[in-house]
Amino acid sequence: MGNDKSDVLQGTLDLMVLKTLESMGPLHGYGIARRIEQVSGNSLSLNQGTIYPALLRLQQRGWIKSAWGVSESNRRAKFYSLSPIGKKQIDEETENWERIAATMSRFLAPSN
Amino acid sequence: MDWIRTLVSRFAALFGKQKLDDELDEELRTHIEFAVEENLKLGMKAQQARTSALREFGGMTQTKETYCVQRGLPFVEQFGRDLRFAFRQLRKSPGFTIVALLTLALGVGANTAVFSLINGLLLRPLPLPHAEQLVVLRFDKGVSDPIDYEFCAPFFRDLENRREVFSEVFAYNGDTLLVKGQSGNENVPGMLVSGQFFQAMQTAPLRGRYLTPQDDRPGGSPAGLAVVISEDFWNNHFNRAPDAVGSTLIIANTHFTVVGVMPKRFIGPDPTQRPEIYAPLSADPIIDAPRNHIADGIHAWWLIVGARLKPGTSMEQANAALLTVSNPILQETGFADAGLMDEKENEHLHFAAEPGSRGYTYARFLFRKPLIAMFAMCGGILLAACLNLASLLMARGVARQRELATRLAMGATRRRVIQQLLTESLSIALLGTVAGLAAAPMVSHSLAALAENGFTEMRLDTSLDLRVFAFAALIAVVSSILIGLLAALQATAGNLNDHIKEGQQAKPAFERRKILPRVLMASEVAVALTLVIGAGLLATSLLRLFRSGAGFDPKGLVNIAFKMDKQQLQGDALMRLYQQLGEGLKRQPGVKSVSFEFVVPLSHRGWNGNYFTPAGGTHQIYMNAVGPDYFGTMRIPLYLGREFNWNDTKASGLKIILNQSAAKEFFPGQNALGQQITYPREKLSYQVVGIVADAKYREMQSPAPAAAYVPMQQDEQPKPSLTAVVRVDGPLAPLAAAARALAGNLAPSIPAPVVTTVDDVLNRSVSAERMMALLSLFFAGCALLVTAIGLYGTLSYATARRTSEIGIRMALGARRIGVVAMVFRENVLIAAVGTGAGLVAAALASRALASFLYETSPSDPWVLVCSVGALAFIASAASILPALRAAQIDPMRALRNE
Repeated sequence: MGNDKSDVLQGTLDLMVLKTLESMGPLHGYGIARRIEQVSGNSLSLNQGTIYPALLRLQQRGWIKSAWGVSESNRRAKFYSLSPIGKKQIDEETENWERIAATMSRFLAPSN
Repeated sequence: MDWIRTLVSRFAALFGKQKLDDELDEELRTHIEFAVEENLKLGMKAQQARTSALREFGGMTQTKETYCVQRGLPFVEQFGRDLRFAFRQLRKSPGFTIVALLTLALGVGANTAVFSLINGLLLRPLPLPHAEQLVVLRFDKGVSDPIDYEFCAPFFRDLENRREVFSEVFAYNGDTLLVKGQSGNENVPGMLVSGQFFQAMQTAPLRGRYLTPQDDRPGGSPAGLAVVISEDFWNNHFNRAPDAVGSTLIIANTHFTVVGVMPKRFIGPDPTQRPEIYAPLSADPIIDAPRNHIADGIHAWWLIVGARLKPGTSMEQANAALLTVSNPILQETGFADAGLMDEKENEHLHFAAEPGSRGYTYARFLFRKPLIAMFAMCGGILLAACLNLASLLMARGVARQRELATRLAMGATRRRVIQQLLTESLSIALLGTVAGLAAAPMVSHSLAALAENGFTEMRLDTSLDLRVFAFAALIAVVSSILIGLLAALQATAGNLNDHIKEGQQAKPAFERRKILPRVLMASEVAVALTLVIGAGLLATSLLRLFRSGAGFDPKGLVNIAFKMDKQQLQGDALMRLYQQLGEGLKRQPGVKSVSFEFVVPLSHRGWNGNYFTPAGGTHQIYMNAVGPDYFGTMRIPLYLGREFNWNDTKASGLKIILNQSAAKEFFPGQNALGQQITYPREKLSYQVVGIVADAKYREMQSPAPAAAYVPMQQDEQPKPSLTAVVRVDGPLAPLAAAARALAGNLAPSIPAPVVTTVDDVLNRSVSAERMMALLSLFFAGCALLVTAIGLYGTLSYATARRTSEIGIRMALGARRIGVVAMVFRENVLIAAVGTGAGLVAAALASRALASFLYETSPSDPWVLVCSVGALAFIASAASILPALRAAQIDPMRALRNE
């Protein structure tokens, strides 16, 4: 892989999944993975497989839920959607991430 | 919150794993198909589209594995796998498994059983709301007989009205009530309770109401005398009739109204009693007639007093409050001026409270020490069982070294292997504990029955409760760690290469590693020897106790107790009734002679008095009132003079018979016969008409005291309840029916007489000793067996591993006898060291036994020699078999196996 792609930071994948489900509504695993790749403009090196443990983790916390359904192409697939707890959690996680990002950027800013 | 949801979901995933796996497979398959579809749309060829999709996805197996670890509880799943493996291993060696399980079940079962007795008697709180607020009051005398839990009525009535720190103060007295049933009068266990008693118990009646302070007045409340009955009595006596409340019971020939029924779970304040009728304390003159404890005032000490602390009051506050009221109460009740105590004692006297959540029972004082001693013995057995298993596992671990080394070599961490070995020992411990727990109720029932043998009226709840289960679980875990950890650590230590290469070859393996198993076996021998010595001491003591004799011949002697206090006759008329009863009994087949006694010897009851002679001064001696031909019937030798006869009436002048010790005390160096002895308190003078041999009085354990006998006709009491002693030749059973028929004829209003053999009385008198001796013998036998198994098992394993070494030795010319000696020697050392340690341990431990021993020194040489002999015999027997087997090794075969 080229050096222009960065690895997914621990914990950020969860938030990406949540935001994706928030904006797109119920979606299957492949859809979520593709969406994340598209939004990141292919600048992330994401093994699509890693999305599944993340989905399980979010499900175990009760932030998302899943149900079997049928896709546009008429395939049986598991669809994930935000749960009420998950919706509330997005704000908190976003805030959390912004705080970290702000802290990081202060470190990275050229010192005066 | 998140982590709880996660845990629940992970736990749920442990079940239906197959379905979840299938779903995951399907989901991932769909993922790839979506990707392939999209790639095809982008114009890729079929093969290229699939390869690209798989590359984008990343490692498929890796994803599944991460997913599965995330989904379930890997630790639990691993544990399950270990457990299955452990059970397979155990099934593979059934001999080892059965021995391991049996020894452990024995240890756990015995411990749990004794613990449930201890729990029932010493630990379990009363099944009452807020039992922690209950206190038991006591009376501190400070000087000679320091603490007394029995109160007199005036003290209690005064305390009852001073309740600064208590919400209620109550008193009770366990009693036997004479209740009229369909078939005449019968004795029912009951309890006299004071007015605030039920209020303090805070237990609602099942039906009706409970007794209140209004009922606890002479004559009862304006509505009359009332009682409350137990659910059991309601079942048995009223057949659960709803109109039982309001009906009348005739107790001691007096009408009482049943006002309430208490539920089954209510057992009252004494954990060893199950009263069926609760009557007001003020009814004592009716129920205990002709005695009257209330009128006896400060001379009758018969009440147990308890109280309930006001919420938020501490024990210190309660004791401080009691201390301030002590002196006023002593003054008000006239106790201080009664001259019962000297000045110094009076100053010290005070009331005090102690925690009463577990209730109060006299049995605690009797059985606490024997129970704790037994508990220690059980602990010894369990320790021996664990040491035994540890050594066996260790020996097995050596045999399995190659397997373990291979697993370690293939990349298993040491932690992982130890974890798996511990799971093995844990599964043994678990199975053993379950088996032990299953056996425990049976054992504790028989233990309780043994103890109750001494106290017929004692009822103890020994059922398993949470505390017992926690205890058993603790035992299981501790023992499995004790068993497994050492073996596991040892089996996984050392150099891998050596283990794999080593195999089963003739090589003096690490000598250092042989030390630990030997230490374990030696400790086991020491524990076993300690138990054997303890058992030997207790058994010898019991034997000596029996051989010391009671002073009379208990064989073929029957006691028939008549209760005469509630019938009409008294004085000479009652004596004539006794005479008729005696004559009637004498006509029964097999009866040789009949007499009567007031105090039953060895029943722990007593009657004493201070008597005086000019020659000997004042002595306190034990007394008894007996009938004609008493000493002949009891087979107590009559040295001088004569027995009493029916002509020794009140009119014929007071007569007395002394035993030899009393005669020596009162008439040193003189002939006592015909002399006078006086009873200063009543200013009475008795003529000595006979001298008899000494006999034991209150209990087997104390030597025969100085005692005197007076004729039953000359006794002071108006209505004495006497016991007939009957010397019988032949079966005793018909006598009980005959006695009942006779009493029914001659005295229809008395309850059925109680028939017991004197052998029973004697056994009951030594019940604690007998129980301890029997149990300790049983435990010692088990310990010996366990040790034999351990010595045999470990030596067999060790020898099996030396097969090729022994083969080489024999090929080089070692003689078979030499091989036997070489193998045998291994255990001789262990047994010798263990015996030395055991003797030291026994010397320390048997000091605690000293108080249970009768005329037996804790270092009795015979017991020590025999115990060591028994152990040496067992150890030799266990060691000679592997040694002989080693000598049968065929050198050629052994070498070919190399």
